Amino acid sequence: MRALHAPRGLALLPLLAFLAVLLALALVPAFASSPYALHVMILLFLSIIMGEAWNVLGGYTGQYSVGHAAFFGLGAYVTMMLMQFKQVPPWWGVWAAVAVAVGVGVFIGAITFRLRGPYFVLASIAVAEIIRLVALNWKDATNGAEGILSTEIPPLSIGGRLITDFGSKVPFYYAGLALVAMTIAANWLVQHSKLGYYFQAIREDQDAAHSLGIHLALYKNIALAISAFFTAWAGSYYALYVGFIDPSTVLSIDISVQIVLICIIGGIGTILGPVVGALVLVPLSEALRSNVIYEGLQQAGIVSEGSRIGSFLKENLAHAHVLIYGILVVIVILYMPDGVLGFAKKMAARRAARRAAAAGGSR
Amino acid sequence: MAPILDIQHVSKFFGGLAANSDVSFSMQEGMIMGLIGPNGAGKTTLFNCITGYYPPSRGDILFEGRRINGLQPDRVCMLGMARTWQKVRPLAKMTVLDNVMVGALARTSSLRVAREAAAEQLRVVRLEHKAAFLAGGLPIGERKKLEVARVLATRPKLLLLDEVMGGLNPAESEEIIQLILEIKKRGLTQMVIEHDMKAIMRISDRIVVLNSGEKLAEGAPQEIVTNPEVVTAYLGESLA
Repeated sequence: MRALHAPRGLALLPLLAFLAVLLALALVPAFASSPYALHVMILLFLSIIMGEAWNVLGGYTGQYSVGHAAFFGLGAYVTMMLMQFKQVPPWWGVWAAVAVAVGVGVFIGAITFRLRGPYFVLASIAVAEIIRLVALNWKDATNGAEGILSTEIPPLSIGGRLITDFGSKVPFYYAGLALVAMTIAANWLVQHSKLGYYFQAIREDQDAAHSLGIHLALYKNIALAISAFFTAWAGSYYALYVGFIDPSTVLSIDISVQIVLICIIGGIGTILGPVVGALVLVPLSEALRSNVIYEGLQQAGIVSEGSRIGSFLKENLAHAHVLIYGILVVIVILYMPDGVLGFAKKMAARRAARRAAAAGGSR
Repeated sequence: MAPILDIQHVSKFFGGLAANSDVSFSMQEGMIMGLIGPNGAGKTTLFNCITGYYPPSRGDILFEGRRINGLQPDRVCMLGMARTWQKVRPLAKMTVLDNVMVGALARTSSLRVAREAAAEQLRVVRLEHKAAFLAGGLPIGERKKLEVARVLATRPKLLLLDEVMGGLNPAESEEIIQLILEIKKRGLTQMVIEHDMKAIMRISDRIVVLNSGEKLAEGAPQEIVTNPEVVTAYLGESLA
């Protein structure tokens, strides 16, 4: 509808904003050379990619998968196994990883998409657990619980010219930024095509969608394939960045839940939602981990290190970061059911309505 | 002329219960067929069998001479048969225009073409002023119109309307009646389930009466109102 009435130039505005942000982010490494700052940015990129990828299936199509660790883990494992055991450079290996994840995804989809609502959620968890157990027990291929440590990523050169030797965080920063740009672009393309309309119709009412000529299994599988593709990319990226994977880090249900949370916190079914979710969750979890709360309390003079309460808090607040994180998530879900983005939109709409009412009253 | 829809001895069992049992009738192109019967007579079950939601347990359904039982609802829609729902199913978080566009996308992959087609169908049901509203926020009368616009956008040859006047006030019902007659003028064939007897008598060319899953009677509206069996089914033994 908006496009029907909005002048053409207005449609370009979000695109220009997107490009401007990308350009600004591309300049960051030139100014911020602190490895920790780049590390946090890379974690942020990773979260955005994972969230945007899940968004295609969970957000637009309404199929709430709590098993995306399967695709994340497959991406990570296939890339690392090829690199460490078969000497395949990761920029080729990642395509194999993505292909495997999409293949597994479509196979799973063919089985689990007969299930609706909570049954699909349970099936998605079960599938991810199966893949985790396979990785844990198929020791010849995966090293089992020991995991895979990457010794060294081969330097990337094109036509004999060295592009990067992956010696610092900077190449990972740029790779992450590029992946974020591509994932968001893919989301935008989906939203502005027949696919997006069909995905949303399936989310809103499957039976109605079916009666309007939508092949449910086909379109759900397309959504899953797109989602698995980018999630596997994220897994591959994570594995290369961290340099070590094992079943309990890349295939655990924690990853699946984390992915869902990014979208729920930010706002499901919108392009900006996962970005907002990542912007909230990543700094929050980093801050809690590094005991910012205790330092704040100490600096405010509420507690001192010498006192019993002070030492207790210093000891324990850092460990309690998961607890605090969980409580905050519950609060957001309770009071902002449409996520932070939806909440902000509602607030803006309410303020606009109030202003309109005030203007009407003064007339 | 060969019938556009031919229902041959269709039965549908749920366990031991026969929701439809040996129902046969056929429809000619361009006609309006009324489908009536007391609650639980099997009208909606028959709709579900025809549109692919359930395969019939026995019998055949032929659309334009082609056997369609067992086809999935999306295939049935693509063949040119579209249905509305007794309990309306708006795509709540999408706009009214987007809802109709989903229907129009059955025939095109271009959003621009679909948008134009959708806007046209909204004009047909006189809902164009609500195009930018979220479908979930519409009152019931407009939701029913939206259902009709959305199925019209799939460009059906045969339209199955399941109680489109249910829950509407007399003025809204009258609008729907005019809409159905207008659709007929465009050459579309329609099958209409309705409880409002006055309305069904006015719009139908022929009427099929179902009772306890079986076809009780078929004929022109005048024949149906004077049929003693139909009167008994509706009003009970003693009044007949």
